Amino acid sequence: MALVLNSLAENAVALQEGGTAAGNGGPAIEQGAAAALGIGLAAIGAGYAERAIGASVVGALAEDSISPGIGILLTVLPETLVIFALVALFV
Amino acid sequence: MSTGASNPEYVNARVRSRRAAMLSDEDYRKLIRMGPSEIARFMEETEYEREINALGTRFSGVDLIEYALNRNLAKHFDDLLEWSEGQLYDRVVRYLRKFDVWNLKTIIRGIYTDSDPEEISTDLIRAGELDDGTIDRLVEVDSIEDVIEILEGTIFAEQLEDAYEEFEESGALVPLENALDRAFYENLLEDLGRPREGPEAKYVEFLEAEIDFLNARNALRLARSGADLDPAAYYIDGGVLFDESDLNRLVGDYDALVDHIAENKRYGDRLSGALDRLRDADSLIQFEHALDAALLEYADTLSSVYPTSISPVLSFILAKEREVENIRAIARGREVGLDENEIEEELVIL
Repeated sequence: MALVLNSLAENAVALQEGGTAAGNGGPAIEQGAAAALGIGLAAIGAGYAERAIGASVVGALAEDSISPGIGILLTVLPETLVIFALVALFV
Repeated sequence: MSTGASNPEYVNARVRSRRAAMLSDEDYRKLIRMGPSEIARFMEETEYEREINALGTRFSGVDLIEYALNRNLAKHFDDLLEWSEGQLYDRVVRYLRKFDVWNLKTIIRGIYTDSDPEEISTDLIRAGELDDGTIDRLVEVDSIEDVIEILEGTIFAEQLEDAYEEFEESGALVPLENALDRAFYENLLEDLGRPREGPEAKYVEFLEAEIDFLNARNALRLARSGADLDPAAYYIDGGVLFDESDLNRLVGDYDALVDHIAENKRYGDRLSGALDRLRDADSLIQFEHALDAALLEYADTLSSVYPTSISPVLSFILAKEREVENIRAIARGREVGLDENEIEEELVIL
């Protein structure tokens, strides 16, 4: 979560710089900053999804009904969203 | 009411896993053919192992099964309360207070008949909101007045105090027991309002169904027995099926009462099979089992529709209660020598 917040703060700085650039007739948000914003939001989404999955997995593990490997796999599944979001960096 | 975030995901994951470990139809079919000691042995190999082992030295036969079942039930429901937080806790505890009612009734009856504290204690199902310390204190006291004093601050206090005066005049326990029931059912729907949609609305609907079925049961019993009792004294407020005047009117006329239940939009369809059988003057017990099965099936459906709500927990609570009742029915049935078909009729299986 701290990482996400960090990248949000960086985004904010990038946004402010974008603002001064807009005064000179450029786009409101530079391409790199927009990509960073997108990735950051995707990470927040993934984190929110993992919260619920993590809680369920701990519950299921406590009852010994799944193996820890499956649990970890399910927990990090939403992380793929962030990897997809990285595509935005390269276009 | 406790506040803070609730954690349905965690509780539901655990509850679903425990639900999966419960006995299946196949197991019941096997149990029906066993004697009490065989049932105890069978239970030793399922999740009841710990309870059977702990109680095995003190009890035997049907008593062993009975106490092991109660203990297991209490363990599961205590776990539920321990896991759940925030709003979820509030919703679960509302329903589980029915075990507090059961315990308090047992304690009051025990004190009334001067029973040994040890004896009262074994009959309790320690699954409700009252903690073990309070219950131990309640079991040890000598007079009903002391019980009410210890309960100061719980939801039961006010109603019990009013009922105690009546008890002192008449010397009968009925006012006290009615007061406990009333406190429980009035608290069941308190502060919930009438939400229109979503899991919350279904939860309220479920509790209303619980009250409705209780009223229906009481009304049918009164109508059947023809006893000259005031139906209003048994009426519980909060359901949608009857209001007080309905009940007074219908108790005199058995067929009209059955029709009234069948015409209700919410329950008519779901209970049509059971109602037909009831019309054919079959036993009341059959109908009560159909009510239980309908409630259980409904809770199951809800738990798939709203996976992250209280519904799966409720469905587990109901299923567990049914399981315990089924095993008890089988054990008691075998003990008194009922044949297999008769026992099967006593079971609530989906």
